[in-house]
Amino acid sequence: MSPDRLDTTFAALADPTRRAILARLVSGEASVTELARPFEMSLPAISKHLKVLERAGLIARGREAQWRPCRLEAGPLKGAADWLEHYRRFWEQSLGRLDDYLREFQRKEKKRGRKK
Amino acid sequence: MVARSSAAPEPAEQVLVITRILDAPPSLVFKVWTQPEHLARWWGPEGFTLPSCRMDVRPGGVYRFRMRSAEGTDHWLRGVYREIVEPVRLVFTWAWEDSEGEPGHETLVTVTFAEDGGKTRLTMRQAVFESMTARDAHQGGWASCLDRLAEYVAEA
Repeated sequence: MSPDRLDTTFAALADPTRRAILARLVSGEASVTELARPFEMSLPAISKHLKVLERAGLIARGREAQWRPCRLEAGPLKGAADWLEHYRRFWEQSLGRLDDYLREFQRKEKKRGRKK
Repeated sequence: MVARSSAAPEPAEQVLVITRILDAPPSLVFKVWTQPEHLARWWGPEGFTLPSCRMDVRPGGVYRFRMRSAEGTDHWLRGVYREIVEPVRLVFTWAWEDSEGEPGHETLVTVTFAEDGGKTRLTMRQAVFESMTARDAHQGGWASCLDRLAEYVAEA
């Protein structure tokens, strides 16, 4: 996934309302009215959030039905999840090696101390 | 993940947060993070080495690492130190270089070293990009949300 795409994905995710909308869509398609219900927000305000999500490719909206249901698109989310996984692995393994190195370092220091 | 009312213990703008207890005092842990001869001994995932490691550890100072994978592929990493508070805190930017040596997508890494009964509680956070930090501060549930979404994606 390109960094630009990743930026767009994370920028879209950087808002609690949009994250809540995505979480709702995990359990299936929904209309704008349904998505707006848990928030104290006007339909135009919700529509604005949906546009951001749609532009980021995180949701798709049906053309067929009058109510244009929203559904989750897995691709960009997978990119964001892969990014997280990549760095998690990097740090978990580095910190594991750091732990070993600190033990070894202190053991040697102790030995050196005894020799003096 | 929906707007948690209680204050989140971790700043929500930090996407990746990892905590680890290390059996050494913070002064030593800080030292092995900031001196190249020590850093080269542990930096990177299993199988990686650090054939070159230049670091100018002061605010505004630059670091540049050449990391070599077990297969022998080189990866260049660079960034700028933003904050250095010995022995409690290190903040630096992070960008992989592409094949032309141009830095790519930049992230911000914050490492804290807290004394905990003679040991060190290390917490590292990696933020996706800095503009998000101000925008998304004080909003809860960011990381756990992504975890859930990741689960969903894994099933999709």
